[in-house]
Amino acid sequence: MMKKWAKVSTIALMAISLAACSSGNANNSGGSNNSAPSNNESGTNGEAVKLNFWTMDRHDMEFMQEKVDAFNSSNTDNIEVEMTVMADNYNQALEVAFSSNQAPDIFKVYDFVTGVKKGYMTPLDDLMSDEFKAQFESVLAENVNMLDGKIYSLPNTGQYWRLIYNKDLFEQAGLTEAPKTLDEMVEAAKKITEVGKADGAYGFASNFKNGSGFTRPAWAIATLSKGEGLEGYNINKGEFDFNVYREVAEALHQMKEDGSMMPGVETLDIDPLRAQFAQGKIGMYINHSSEPAVYTDQFPTDVNWEAAVVPSIDGNPQGALWVNAGNYLAISEKTPHKEAAFKFMEYLYGTELRAEYQEEGYGISVLPYVNEAANEPELNGISGFLPTENDAIYPASPAAITESRLEGLKATDALIRYILTGGDLDATINDLNTRYNQALEAVRSDGSTTIEADPSFNANDLRGSLVVGQ
Amino acid sequence: MRKKIHAYIFTFPSIFLTLTLGVYPIFWALRYMFFDYQGFGEPRFIGLENFARVGRDTQFWQSVWNTFIYTGGKLILTLPMSLILAVILNRAIRGRQLLRSVYFLPTIFSASVMSIVFYIIFNSYNGVVNQFLIKMGFGSLDWLGAKYAMLTVILIAVWGAVGNYMLLFLAGLQNIPDDVYEAASLDGVNPAQRLWYITMPMLGPVMQMIIMLAITTSLKGYESIMVLTEGGPFGKTEVMFLYLYKLFFPLVSDSGSVQNIGYGSAVGFTSAVIVGVITLIYFKISKKLSNTY
Repeated sequence: MMKKWAKVSTIALMAISLAACSSGNANNSGGSNNSAPSNNESGTNGEAVKLNFWTMDRHDMEFMQEKVDAFNSSNTDNIEVEMTVMADNYNQALEVAFSSNQAPDIFKVYDFVTGVKKGYMTPLDDLMSDEFKAQFESVLAENVNMLDGKIYSLPNTGQYWRLIYNKDLFEQAGLTEAPKTLDEMVEAAKKITEVGKADGAYGFASNFKNGSGFTRPAWAIATLSKGEGLEGYNINKGEFDFNVYREVAEALHQMKEDGSMMPGVETLDIDPLRAQFAQGKIGMYINHSSEPAVYTDQFPTDVNWEAAVVPSIDGNPQGALWVNAGNYLAISEKTPHKEAAFKFMEYLYGTELRAEYQEEGYGISVLPYVNEAANEPELNGISGFLPTENDAIYPASPAAITESRLEGLKATDALIRYILTGGDLDATINDLNTRYNQALEAVRSDGSTTIEADPSFNANDLRGSLVVGQ
Repeated sequence: MRKKIHAYIFTFPSIFLTLTLGVYPIFWALRYMFFDYQGFGEPRFIGLENFARVGRDTQFWQSVWNTFIYTGGKLILTLPMSLILAVILNRAIRGRQLLRSVYFLPTIFSASVMSIVFYIIFNSYNGVVNQFLIKMGFGSLDWLGAKYAMLTVILIAVWGAVGNYMLLFLAGLQNIPDDVYEAASLDGVNPAQRLWYITMPMLGPVMQMIIMLAITTSLKGYESIMVLTEGGPFGKTEVMFLYLYKLFFPLVSDSGSVQNIGYGSAVGFTSAVIVGVITLIYFKISKKLSNTY
């Protein structure tokens, strides 16, 4: 009797455990089911086509929900979109959803190339009309929103990089305008520090706690000045050449040597930096177009600040200023409702909707037709970030995949070490070039990247691509 | 037989959970040791290349060295301090319960939250520590800069650990019978002799476990360093398991980095072996401590 009881209990326990493990599969209401019949596209059989739209953007949540509701009530194709704003770990949630056939029909792109290679995204080429496609012609780039010539996503807003400076501190130091060259920047930082040090104000800062303390100023200044490519990758030569950052590294090092950098920059994070800037303790730093919102909501400030185009090496820019942008939404390769999903996507790219989005200060578009239609957003300091003929989207570099095979110190760490402690810059750059190009060769030879040299690339051709009439 | 079946039934849930959530993930990660795998596409078999790379990886070995400095510094300060505190608070002094709670308090705080607080306390431009030093006329220090960052993360780790080990020592001390001390006082033993000749030897087996716990915890520790310095400036406070963590989960601030699951698995295995070997060596050396009196 006891034996029988034990057997029954064991089976029951196992059954409960297995049921618990598989309950996730039974509930597929969160996304499209791969095996669902696809004959109800566009709701022709009277039933609504339900689409799941996932995003990780929280800052524009209310605006977007309003627009999604408007789409649901106004579209004539019987399409119903449910928007889900994922909290943290968006990437992991997306991975799990795809691997368990619960992927959303339309989703915000997290990692473009990886997503396409994993087969998550459907090419948009056949879904787009020529007229619609033409609006994006100037902002399409390989490995950014295209792969092997096919378009998988389209750009939307971007991060525009600028020199952010405290006009009061500039005035105190007898400076009338933002620096236009690296020498002027070094000099301005020195003057501001001389005048402001007694009150704890310093000329320059960057968040050297992590690599972006270097990349924020360096990528912006180097792309504008030389236009060779991103992240140390020279697009023409198809190899890494960190000489592109020589002058920026030297200028930053000089400011450190002069004592013009804020004490503690070695471990300064971006938010503490912003907090100090908001208190009038920093003369200038380089960052992107999130700052107007930051100084309105996160660190409200009385400081009289403005954004200007970053300085170039010698005042004679030969390239275009990099804009961090390129992709926004993708349609799941697994959804049976591709056309319906594209109709929703088309709606989101409507001129009026996008212009309103920009005017309300949620983000600055990289789309020329939006920038032409939109009025200036009502956000203090935003005017300095609006697109100019300098700004452009660059083709992707193979830096991330190269670094997965890199042996030794990363470029950002090596160059930050030079900036903060000095040393032999020639040796540092030569060592980086050797190691990065060895790693690049390895990722090319096993097919991890298909990015090759493009001798015809000229950053000057990119200038004006984000504004109409250039 | 019936007893055995009962045992199986009652242990089944925990065995099941241990296997699925503990053992399976380890083997999941370890099988990629011999592959080149970034989290997408087909893993590519590369034999022992990941291990050859571990051997050549100066960054990794630097992080191992940093781990030894961090562990050594933390233990040298933490263990004597917590033992002394335990001995003092084991006596019938006024307010000892309150003091025990106060010293134990850091253990219950989240390491990440406290690290954010310490980041503010130690920052060089307006941190409390520097404000105090300036007021006292000493000038300011860049506590989290290249020169002092390791010292600072060690001090913060000591702050977080002392109370915990104090409690473990206290438990050990309370197991020492009072009559031993009474006999010693009849023989005219002074407090120092009492500590050295009675307390320490009788605490031996407990101490062996506490030190082992302290060694393994310190060798694996990285959370507070991740918040305080992210391993910087330029790798000065990069410890073994932070280096490993970044290979699997690139930090947000390190945008653009890709996962490195294959190489990460090899680094993980090597790190586990290092911790294992050190623990074994310690057990060998400390055998004498486990003698019970």
